[in-house]
Amino acid sequence: MAEAEPLIGIDLGTTNSIVATVQDGQPIVIKNRTGLALTPSVVAVSKNAKRLVGSIAKRQAITNPQETVYAVKRLIGRKFSSHEVQNALRSLPYEVVAGQHDDLRVRMGGRDLSVPELSAMILQELKADAEAHFGRPVSKAVITVPAYFNDAQRQATKDAGRIAGLEVLRIINEPTAAALAYGFGRTVNGRVAVLDLGGGTFDVSVLEINQGVFDVVATGGDTYLGGEDWDNRIIEWLVFGFAKEHGIDLRKDRMALQRLKDAAEKAKVELSSVREAQLNLPFISTPPGGGAALHLQSTLTRDKLDDLTNDLAERVVGITTEVLGEASVRPSELKEVILVGGMSRMPKIVEAVRGYFRREPCKGVHPEEVVALGAAIQAHALVEQESELLLLDVTPQSLGVAIAGGSVKRIIPKNTTVPTSATEVFATSKDFQHTVKIMVLQGEHELAHQNELLGEFVLTGLREAPRGKVEIDVTFDINAEGIVSVSAKDRDTGLRQSITVTASSGLTEEELQRIMEEQREYLMAARISDELKTKRMELDSLARDVVDALTRARLLPGGGGLGPDAVPRAEQALEHARRVRENEDVGSLARACELLSGSLTQLRKPGPGGMGR
Amino acid sequence: MSPQRANQLIEAGLWLRLSGDMRGAQRLFERALQLDPGNTRAKEYLEAAVAALSAGSVTPFSPPPADVVPLPAQVLGRMAPATPSLDGDWGAWAEGQGGPPEGASWKTPAPVYLPEVPGGSRVDAMELLAREDDSDEPQVFALPDNDTQEYGVPRGDTQEYGVPPADGELELLLRGAEDLLELDDHSGAVDLLFKAQELAPGDPRVEALRQRSERMLMAMLESKLGDLGRVPRVRLQPDDIIWLNLDHRAGFVLAQIDGAVSYEDLFALSGMTRLDTARILAQLLDEGVITAG
Repeated sequence: MAEAEPLIGIDLGTTNSIVATVQDGQPIVIKNRTGLALTPSVVAVSKNAKRLVGSIAKRQAITNPQETVYAVKRLIGRKFSSHEVQNALRSLPYEVVAGQHDDLRVRMGGRDLSVPELSAMILQELKADAEAHFGRPVSKAVITVPAYFNDAQRQATKDAGRIAGLEVLRIINEPTAAALAYGFGRTVNGRVAVLDLGGGTFDVSVLEINQGVFDVVATGGDTYLGGEDWDNRIIEWLVFGFAKEHGIDLRKDRMALQRLKDAAEKAKVELSSVREAQLNLPFISTPPGGGAALHLQSTLTRDKLDDLTNDLAERVVGITTEVLGEASVRPSELKEVILVGGMSRMPKIVEAVRGYFRREPCKGVHPEEVVALGAAIQAHALVEQESELLLLDVTPQSLGVAIAGGSVKRIIPKNTTVPTSATEVFATSKDFQHTVKIMVLQGEHELAHQNELLGEFVLTGLREAPRGKVEIDVTFDINAEGIVSVSAKDRDTGLRQSITVTASSGLTEEELQRIMEEQREYLMAARISDELKTKRMELDSLARDVVDALTRARLLPGGGGLGPDAVPRAEQALEHARRVRENEDVGSLARACELLSGSLTQLRKPGPGGMGR
Repeated sequence: MSPQRANQLIEAGLWLRLSGDMRGAQRLFERALQLDPGNTRAKEYLEAAVAALSAGSVTPFSPPPADVVPLPAQVLGRMAPATPSLDGDWGAWAEGQGGPPEGASWKTPAPVYLPEVPGGSRVDAMELLAREDDSDEPQVFALPDNDTQEYGVPRGDTQEYGVPPADGELELLLRGAEDLLELDDHSGAVDLLFKAQELAPGDPRVEALRQRSERMLMAMLESKLGDLGRVPRVRLQPDDIIWLNLDHRAGFVLAQIDGAVSYEDLFALSGMTRLDTARILAQLLDEGVITAG
């Protein structure tokens, strides 16, 4: 029987990403090729023009800031002019430029790359890890996104998947995935809070779970609060201590700062399980006037870390209170509280959450892995058609039209299962109104301009009549692929106008095809480059052996009994190797290796009785 | 011919010693002594080099002790003594960092006098690999007897009251670099060529020779490191590491070696040029601080 095609679930995070699968009925995390569950969502082009993804990219982020791109999730599917992007640009060291359609491009390695392309590099890495795990190609995935992502952001994430060579079976909400991993689809009916404190963001969601249907009833948070803030407090503490002792500001030296960042993160993680952590950074700085390099040695206790970050823990509670308050959800109404994200392992955070909700948060599933595991469970259920676990594809946000007064009339509420259709009747708002402009909006805000404008069109030729006398049917249709069609029809005249809205990531189909082609070429070139590198190393090694053997042969009396042609042949092989070494042709390098290898055999095996062949 | 070559080898050895390559210097002093067994300077310098090496005080990561710096500043004239930051930090030399502070009155010392390579032909790494090691005396020194003076400073190049023209100095550096290449001292050649580049930025000859010597040096260093896909490991305990004499750049590279990253990864994440990183890694390997994996 043919093996079932491997399926993966991906938590594509702002700071870290994880890939998981269901194996023998159990959801498991697939470790990356360095043996770790987490792959930093960082891509870079190193100084030697090599593309780096994951922990390697992260580890050179500070020493190579302009060419290291992180937190692209904050930018995905957004417009360059948006408040969120402009806000993000203030803190990003890499260059972001406007695209042709108010989309945005990130400058890396001398190229302007779209955000889905960058996300695709991370997905490609995860895909490769999964392929290494399964030992065969992987092409189908479920990817998670924050509950507040709109259609454009979801579509951009899907596009990233396509660029990475993945068929994205479904995009699901992160809190929903977390709840799925806890098995709440089967066991819980009621409200559940999911607090996701990751590396760079804090998301609070309230889910209403009812007979396996997951409804996100409230979502909020702070897109600039996460583990990095805790790291920075530790770095500040270390820098201050070192400056006091040696009069040197380590932040001015990128190498030192990179080491501080790595050490701070490590200490923070350690302090979730032990009460004190040692920070040893030998040779961290050479004094300006020269002399022996200085060491940084320090001990950080859990109490000290709590002191340094007390206000951050308070912010977590404050934001949670705010989100629940906006949704009119009382903590006592909640059936469960799920903690997600690496930072939620910190004892101080657990304590703060326990204090606020007056209950023990859910434990049992690793908080960093829970979202990816949920995604894997969903991928498995989709293919296996396990209906009790099958999430319905729903509209993530409400759809409606702008009406007089600048407000919104919702026609399809969020979390409506697709495909779906709904019609609403509108009337003219002015006397003798000839035209009506239909503005299609997505979002939850009451004010039209606070929502995302998906498209607009004008219905003309309306019958002349006092206001309110002309009625127009506005119909929204969403098909199974999530494509929204909106039509407006004058009931009297039958005049009709319509628009089709496809969620766009900012990339046109042509651009997407071109990028996919480039990715294929890149992967091909990378494979050839690896082969060339391996062959050159083999060639160099053989050349050294041949030189050694030649030297020995020359030192031995009578050439050590070598045949008359052994030495000239070896010299010819060396000369040939020298000529082809820089060739970009694996075949010619392989041939040169064969020649050297043959010569080596001849040099090492002289003929009988001192007479070589 | 032999005494003359011996003197020139001594001068080349002094150069290597100045740039911190005590082992290379020792090798040249030994060769000089083989050519001219009665040469007292060769004996003297060889003893100093052996003593310094056996004391373990001179490593590529540490400056040579004051007593082995060959020339007092007043004798050197325009050759100011090597600064501590220059001595130890090989990588810094290569990238032009960590050298003397900008604006410092440090001048490039005149290199040893070495002749043109016959025919001006160039060899590449494969030819070097293929070169026989049992050749006769190296044909790299061919200057008239009276062209050098004690302490290795070429007589014709030193002016008591002035500095020789930069062009002349550039030529000296270029020839010195070529000759160091002939002696397989690619590291020294690269150092000289960086100095030459400071004197004549954009000079195509300097650029070409620098690229070539860097390529050769890189090939040698990579060959020393072996398979770059291997994962190096730190051999010493943290308590022992702090007693090493490393600079912050070597410290940074060492800190990245965690038993998970390969040499190739280290090149990418060091934030330095490939050559600088390779030099540091090769030295860490030589010093026994790390194992090849």
